[in-house]
Amino acid sequence: MSKYDEARRAFLIGAAVGAGAVAGKGLVADAFAQTHPQHGPAEAPATTAHAHGPGHGAFLNDDDAATVAAFAERLMPGAPGKPGARDAGVLNYIDLALSGAYADQQDFYRRGLAALDAYCRKTHNATFVRLAAAQQDEVITALEQGKAGGFTWPSAQAFFNTVRTHTMEGMFADPLYGGNKDFAGWRLIGFPGAQPAFSSEDMQSKDAFTRAPIIGLQAQAPIRRG
Amino acid sequence: MATEKTDVVIVGVGAAGGILAAELGKAGMKVIGLERGPRLTTQDFNPHDELRYFQRQDLRPNIKRQPITWRPKADARANPMPVQNYGNQAGGGTVHYGAVSWRFHEDDFRARSQTIERYGASAIPADSSLADWPMSYADLEPYYDRAEYDLGVSGKAGNLEGRKVAGGNVFEAPRRREFPLPPLLVDQTGVVFDAATKKLGYHPFSTPRAILSEAYKGRPGCTYCGFCQAFGCHIGAKSSILVTALPEADATGNFKLVTGAMCYRVNSDNSGRVTGVAYYGPDGSDNTIEAELVILTPFIYDNTRLLLLSKTEIFPNGLANSSGEVGKHLMAHMMPNVYVAFDDRHMNNYMGPSAQKHTIDDFNADNFDHAGLGFIRGSQISVGTGNLQGGPISLTTTMPPPGTPRWGATYRDFLAKYYARHAAMVAQTENLPYVDQTIDLDPNVRDAWGLPAPRLTYDWRRPTELARVEFMMKKMEEIGRAMGATHVWRAPLGPGAPGAHHEGGTRMGSDPKTSVVNRYGQSWDVPNLFVIGSSTFPSMSGFNPTLTIQALAYMSADAIVNRYKKSPGPLL
Repeated sequence: MSKYDEARRAFLIGAAVGAGAVAGKGLVADAFAQTHPQHGPAEAPATTAHAHGPGHGAFLNDDDAATVAAFAERLMPGAPGKPGARDAGVLNYIDLALSGAYADQQDFYRRGLAALDAYCRKTHNATFVRLAAAQQDEVITALEQGKAGGFTWPSAQAFFNTVRTHTMEGMFADPLYGGNKDFAGWRLIGFPGAQPAFSSEDMQSKDAFTRAPIIGLQAQAPIRRG
Repeated sequence: MATEKTDVVIVGVGAAGGILAAELGKAGMKVIGLERGPRLTTQDFNPHDELRYFQRQDLRPNIKRQPITWRPKADARANPMPVQNYGNQAGGGTVHYGAVSWRFHEDDFRARSQTIERYGASAIPADSSLADWPMSYADLEPYYDRAEYDLGVSGKAGNLEGRKVAGGNVFEAPRRREFPLPPLLVDQTGVVFDAATKKLGYHPFSTPRAILSEAYKGRPGCTYCGFCQAFGCHIGAKSSILVTALPEADATGNFKLVTGAMCYRVNSDNSGRVTGVAYYGPDGSDNTIEAELVILTPFIYDNTRLLLLSKTEIFPNGLANSSGEVGKHLMAHMMPNVYVAFDDRHMNNYMGPSAQKHTIDDFNADNFDHAGLGFIRGSQISVGTGNLQGGPISLTTTMPPPGTPRWGATYRDFLAKYYARHAAMVAQTENLPYVDQTIDLDPNVRDAWGLPAPRLTYDWRRPTELARVEFMMKKMEEIGRAMGATHVWRAPLGPGAPGAHHEGGTRMGSDPKTSVVNRYGQSWDVPNLFVIGSSTFPSMSGFNPTLTIQALAYMSADAIVNRYKKSPGPLL
């Protein structure tokens, strides 16, 4: 991890001087800074995204937040050394997106989540968050295959696809948007972020690229000002 | 409501419109360019952000404000398409494109004749409207040369005045001289692709791209950051119209760009000449420009839409449409993909310009024998990234190998292991024109300005097109296995909707009865109206269209400056 310390420092400096440094992203980043201080320098426990805990508050209510967090975690489960959706703050990403760029999908989520719990009650006598992981996977599979009943709008498949897309965005979009905490997603797969340049030697290598720290938007901003 | 007078009004300042603005301005003509989107600058493209530009399509049209509807056939319901790939700003698609810059083959200009000569007329599907261009490659060659040198294209010649040159594309049409810039550096996808295709007896080469491999005309060389397709270049190394033709147009002192301008009608008088255009300004104002010459150069949908919206008593079927051909023969590249992943090496394909890095041309055009194959024409086959963009979100939008689910621990481990160890091949198949593949006005859906949305009626899944796609899929799988990849898998094909690089709608030809414009893009019906861009292509080739659009713009500019300006009237 030490090779990324420099990038992390740059990230933290960028966060400290304020999100306004990133033109066009100010509103998102301000909301991020004000509502989600747990994403600051301290290593907040990422698994506490739950009612009254960190990880939501911009749009989702406590129950819906718990459901989204549990759903996302089954789509990208964490394991030792392999960060998953909770580790990356996917819930935080989705919550912020639904209060901003994806505000037009608020009702899509409300209705989709209600239909999900209705389906889980009918088939398993419990809401999604109370099911065991294997049962949750069964439910998600039924959604993916369009076999879960009771969904009208959104359809079960549309709801699955959208939550999956947003989960992947929360894993792999820049941390500025509230997910991919400390580049958890990029570290998982070996993406070095927005490097300003690759050399001929870099491109000739058959090995993993480890020469430079991961570069995110917050690290790019000071470069641009300079 | 404002009224302005000018010599020339250009609607859409992209690949073609930007070049025309510069060339006509240099000749002393007063030019106003109308652009629907904003004019961005190089510094607007820093920093790079995959979510914003790739996933949320920041440089593309807003599909809610500017819907385009699609239906597979005339009796189906048309729905707005979820994604648009064309540009929405000054510079048009050249701002965010992958900058792949091909010259078409000689036989791309005479696909109908070539097919009949080699395979007989029955080889052309009975329902296809495949036609020769009203010009030859040799006619356009000087303007391809001009575009490559004016704009800045990197590559290696494979055919210098008829002499084949190893290492370049030996199937390319003869060129008068080398590229202005040497090829871009190779990455690992190019290395394994070259080795595999050579082993199979094919002829790989570095794809020609309008990206500077070295400093050129005051702009710096590429740094291989990888944020290319879907992104604007943050150092101006991509030879977009924004950093090439537009500054030239500005320097003439004869060019004015109006951004946020939505042109909704081409005005014409009772004599049958056009008199200018009407447009909505960014403040909602309704404005008029009176011009001696009107040039339409937006993305192809809006050429057809504007002509249909501009109907009058003299032009009851739409402006410039006495042939009835406006809106017909829509074409688009299908993009079948094959993915490869390796256990024993990294590919790191997020490095370097992201679209179509290295290519073979062995199965394009009529470069191979089609006897018994069930299809004509072909495709380039290139290697690089899925979605032509190498970020991680891009990979998550594609299908993993069969047997690997799209979510869960297995999918997480697939991404962790193969994100930096995979590559994608793409075949951009040449699809044939058909008279019932059309653009018209949607009677039900309107855009943010209250104008009817362009409606596409199109389904590529015809027997000859399916056979061509299947052939290319098999070739790419063969190459993948020759690479020694651990996994080789096809991406599923989409529905019948058009893919990338749309062409057609205002077809050029040599007969006013069967075409909308002549070789210069000049309307047969209205001599002071020009339509220039891929909407005029009679056939599409298996190559990306942009350099050909740009060469046509230089050719038309030349004809307007040296002939039309002195004697306004029909050029043919």
